[in-house]
Amino acid sequence: MTIRKFKIKQIYIPIIILLLSSILFLSIQGKAPQVEQNYNDNHALVVTAHPLASKAAMEILHKGGNAIDAAVAAAFAIGVVEPGSSGLGGGGGMLIYLKEQNKFIYINYYQRASENILKLNYNPKLDNKSAKAILVPGTTDGLITALEKYGTLPLNEILEPAIKYAEDGFEIDEFLGKSILDNVGLLKKYPSTENIYLRDGFPLMEGDTLKQPDLGETLKQISNLGREGFYDGKVAKSIVDSVTKYGGMISLKDLKNYRAIITEPVKGSYRGHEVYSAAPPQSGLFVIEALHILENENLNKLGHYSESAECLHIMAETFKRVYADRTAYLDDPKFNSIPINGLTSKAYAKIRFNDINPNIATPKKYRDTKEGNPFAYEMQKTEKIGHEIESESKSIWSDEDDEGKPSYKIIDEDLFDNWGKTKISKEKKEKKPENIDTTLIEPIDIEQDGHTTHISIIDKNGNAVSLTQTIGTFFGSGLVASGILFNNSMSNFGYKTTINAPKPNKQPRSSISPTIILKNGSPHIVVGSPGASRIIATIVQVVVNVIDFKMSATDANQAPRFFCQKLDDFLSLESGINSNVQEFLKQKGHNLKIYEGYDAYFGGVQLIIIDPITNVITGSSDPRRGGIAIGD
Amino acid sequence: MSNTKFLFIIVMLNIFLFSGIYSQSNIVFEKPVLITSAGQSADITLASMLCKKINLDHKAISTAKESDLSGIKTLIIVAGYSSKGLGAAGVSREDELKRIKSLISAAKNNKINIIMMHLGGKPRRGNQSDEFNKLAAEAANYMIVVKQGDEDKFFSKIAENKKVKIDLIEKIADGVNPLKSIFNLN
Repeated sequence: MTIRKFKIKQIYIPIIILLLSSILFLSIQGKAPQVEQNYNDNHALVVTAHPLASKAAMEILHKGGNAIDAAVAAAFAIGVVEPGSSGLGGGGGMLIYLKEQNKFIYINYYQRASENILKLNYNPKLDNKSAKAILVPGTTDGLITALEKYGTLPLNEILEPAIKYAEDGFEIDEFLGKSILDNVGLLKKYPSTENIYLRDGFPLMEGDTLKQPDLGETLKQISNLGREGFYDGKVAKSIVDSVTKYGGMISLKDLKNYRAIITEPVKGSYRGHEVYSAAPPQSGLFVIEALHILENENLNKLGHYSESAECLHIMAETFKRVYADRTAYLDDPKFNSIPINGLTSKAYAKIRFNDINPNIATPKKYRDTKEGNPFAYEMQKTEKIGHEIESESKSIWSDEDDEGKPSYKIIDEDLFDNWGKTKISKEKKEKKPENIDTTLIEPIDIEQDGHTTHISIIDKNGNAVSLTQTIGTFFGSGLVASGILFNNSMSNFGYKTTINAPKPNKQPRSSISPTIILKNGSPHIVVGSPGASRIIATIVQVVVNVIDFKMSATDANQAPRFFCQKLDDFLSLESGINSNVQEFLKQKGHNLKIYEGYDAYFGGVQLIIIDPITNVITGSSDPRRGGIAIGD
Repeated sequence: MSNTKFLFIIVMLNIFLFSGIYSQSNIVFEKPVLITSAGQSADITLASMLCKKINLDHKAISTAKESDLSGIKTLIIVAGYSSKGLGAAGVSREDELKRIKSLISAAKNNKINIIMMHLGGKPRRGNQSDEFNKLAAEAANYMIVVKQGDEDKFFSKIAENKKVKIDLIEKIADGVNPLKSIFNLN
């Protein structure tokens, strides 16, 4: 008996050790993406792209903070531990759902142009990764605004984890190590940046410790002085001196005048769910348009897109049309009318759906895809969604030439002529900026990688935050001052037409689309992703995976992805899409580009699902990128 | 088997093994040097920096072709895949593999020695990179590899099978020492 016991021990102990070590390894690597918690027991869940940011958020929740406190802490922290993707030198968007008030708020803190932008001598092709591409950063103001209006804890407590990570340093993970390696040329461009990310001219690698004492000092300034710690005083002076030294365009007045915009999110519905997402000039509008178009097809009946060419084809053709509309109509609403009601109209979606040929890619060249005419549907709002939405854009916008309400709300007869041609087309006749070479570049993301970052949080009271922030492409402009790595979001402006063209104090369009979906009046999905132009298509695929195919958070995130848009002539697929499906897609006229395995090109979704029946919360961090879901 | 026989076999195996490695380590690597990429990662710039640090004259052409080998005595292939790099170079993965294969073939035909450098560590391993890594490593007369990229002995095993010398370095910057040594620049 003793011998038998010993043998059993001999067999089981190694297995147990193996299992435990596997779990430990997976959790360290952030590859154990799913955590389940019971919502009924008042639990919270945090999902970010870095374990230390998730930890920072969880610490704040443990101190009694709400989802907004936790999101702000995580956002400051992730700017330190994932410095190439977001941070103080960039901006973003934060969608907040307040359970008790049953209210949605969208805080747009994206970067915006200097008031002197038209004096900038900018070449979109040569200057897109330099100080000249820097726009006025919004992160600090956006996060502090969120905290002051909707948070509960003081700023100095919120900033503690970020300051600690900056000063003490942290171990570089695989994702950051690869980002540094891939961008070593950019990181050598400015000495202040090289000093942080390189040693003896060679890049820091995975496993090395990254310390950012200057960033820690700036965070302390913010902790002590609030927004003035960034937008005024010695940090502001250092920003202006450094950016202008290298040819960029930011003034002290630009910094002082920066204010985040509190506005209403865009809204729609999908198969009985209420969908809320980022307001223009961010891209939630097009997540909703895509879902409205897809609602006209029974995707479940067609089969999952990884196994059904019919399903994938319909979705791809939808994306082509949605991205064509985005190219044609998305702009800063303070500068151009955007047909929000038309683009989110179910009748318009039906027209766009009817334009899709289920058998063949039309047009064959994706770039020939034409925008629709949403202005014809601008006056027809098909449904009213009953949640209160807060907007303070008029009161908080500090421009001297503030026009008050966002222009997209103003609907008048001048907007239309007989064919529904719009004010926008009239404005296309405007003079283009003189000092910017407009012949060189299409209004398309300049880099094909998975930059930016996303944070999803739900707290024990049911408040939810979906937050996406960015410094543009990886490591942005490459310029660091006072420890702050600055964005290159000038590259988000377009240069072919006046739509999305750079203007003083204007925000460029961005793909970020933090989204929250309600079922029966309660949060069901909290989702968002980095990934430049892929963001919209990626979020739609994950939502379809959850709603149409009833996938768990992990399965929805791990399902292979695809992408296409108007300005690419490729249908890009992850290799997990069934090979038969690939063959059928070729027969339908698609030109395929295959990515082996998972690829961060297709984003890095941070996903929370609250089961509307059982209230079980699940979270998943995308395996395409380092990250972790932590429950409490 | 008697102990004497066993010891004899071990001694013979060692002699066989080390004679191969020894002979390879004695290859003289000469200038002129051409550096190219296998996979279009930015790591080619790191190899170039290492060469600059020891004043080793070289040309670095990330998409070098057979014609670039004219007059070259040592070809350094820096292995590692980058989708961004391939995109920037405007070449497909298949085209890149084809280019490397023909470059290696031309180098062998012209008796040009090949050094494989793998500097990117883990980020330059995995499915996407290993086809390029294997191709370059199997063609090499000598390898310099950052240890982090050889945790599974991927390169060490190839070196052992091909009986070529491999220098494993802790950090990229440590690459200067083996380079100095093989080009007799001490």
